[in-house]
Amino acid sequence: MNSMIQGVEILLVEDNENDAELTIRALKKNNLANGLLHLSDGEKALNFIFGEGEYAGRHIEERPRVIVLDINMPRVGGIEVLERLKSDERTKLIPVIVLTSSKESPDVHRCYELGVNSYVVKPVEFEDFFKAIASLGFFWMIVNQPPA
Amino acid sequence: MNKKPKILIVDDKHENLVALETVLRDVDVDLIRAYSGNEALTATLHHDFALALLDIHMPDMDGYELAGILREEEKTARLPFIFISAVYTDNLNVFKGYERGAFSFITKPFQPEILINKVKFFINIYRQEAELNQLNEDLKNKNIDLELSNKELEAFTYSVSHDLRAPLRAMNGFARILTEDHAGHLDAEGKRLLDNIGKNSEKMACLIDNLLEFSRLGKQDIREMIVDMNKLVKDVLEDLHTANNSNKTELNIQDLPKTRGDSDLLKQVFVNLLSNAIKYSSKKENPVIEVGSSTSGQETTYWVRDNGSGFDMRYKSKLFGVFQRLHSDKEFEGTGIGLAIVHRIISRSGGKVWAESEVDRGATFYVSLPSVSNVS
Repeated sequence: MNSMIQGVEILLVEDNENDAELTIRALKKNNLANGLLHLSDGEKALNFIFGEGEYAGRHIEERPRVIVLDINMPRVGGIEVLERLKSDERTKLIPVIVLTSSKESPDVHRCYELGVNSYVVKPVEFEDFFKAIASLGFFWMIVNQPPA
Repeated sequence: MNKKPKILIVDDKHENLVALETVLRDVDVDLIRAYSGNEALTATLHHDFALALLDIHMPDMDGYELAGILREEEKTARLPFIFISAVYTDNLNVFKGYERGAFSFITKPFQPEILINKVKFFINIYRQEAELNQLNEDLKNKNIDLELSNKELEAFTYSVSHDLRAPLRAMNGFARILTEDHAGHLDAEGKRLLDNIGKNSEKMACLIDNLLEFSRLGKQDIREMIVDMNKLVKDVLEDLHTANNSNKTELNIQDLPKTRGDSDLLKQVFVNLLSNAIKYSSKKENPVIEVGSSTSGQETTYWVRDNGSGFDMRYKSKLFGVFQRLHSDKEFEGTGIGLAIVHRIISRSGGKVWAESEVDRGATFYVSLPSVSNVS
């Protein structure tokens, strides 16, 4: 069992190690990475959130303040995770940000239908990427009032 | 298609059937005999006929009765008949369902050539119809193939956009981190090299985006409306002006007639043409950009002229190609997709685009579109 399963504020679900590193760096630089847990696929994310599998025994009530979700992941993709989260009374209020690599994505419509809270295309240029992640972090961790 | 057309011959008298076979022996068809109406109906279950030759006077079921029944059946409803009768009749309304297909008469005794002619006439029509059906079938299959490959292309586009961007983001990001966190270990040359990595990854991202935009233009629907070209050009120039900060360019914009087209796409055309004009004249001391038009007959030709570096007309065939450039990045930066987009939009709008230039003496790009007064 993962040692850090308590006090998770940001759950980052991202299979691409490089993107994860850059995302975490951008958050860290803005002091927004406290309580960040990075999981590398959708299956682990669902297990974590619902306290199943390797996270059996974790309380589902301990909700992260925000979930940052990559779309294209092997096995269980971001859309499937989003669908599970938004269709379960216990988790549907957790804000979910979907990050995708592509402007061409046919998924944007689907994500909004499922109730995504933000949908962001990862910029290639580092400055832009950095700014995008930082402002997401600011908004969802500081500006936004989470559901009680 | 290679099978011989089949002809049903119906007569209760053996010698008449033999006579028909003799007359038609040189026609490239298969003859199927039937000695009665019932036999004929049975034969239609086993064969696809191109034509039926029916004797009118037969016991039990005469030729007209048989024809009426055949017209009722889905499979033979359009089967053409040649009635063979002993007496001439010009009464067309002689059998049920006569209006649903072609038929003809021949009176005994007949000239063999006349029967052969009639048979050939119907067989030709049959062949042409079969050919047409085959072509239609091919067309349908091709359409299905096309739809499939369009879907594949869409999936391909998506994965290109998605999968090619991720490593670029990593390259760009890590090069940047190296500059930020390890600047102390790098001399000026090291920083310049890192900077090159960053710039090139951005350029590649730009190429990918442009290419995707180009492919998207191919499938996007064109929404036609009347377009105020004066406003369109003014808006584009304002946007470009803010983006480029190029105050030194002299603009000379004539009054432009309206056109019919998709205003978003036409705007993209003029963004590309005018930003090129600005770019390629930027190194001149007194850059001048002119926009004008001329109308002749059904067409209005809009033109954008600059006094910039121009291009060698020997390479004009490459001008509108994807990723084709007539200048190096060092001279003028670019991805080589802008004019390809212009070309695609204008061709899809039913117009034409071409250019004239001389090296160092500027270039003029012409776009011809249907005149509004001539389009209903």
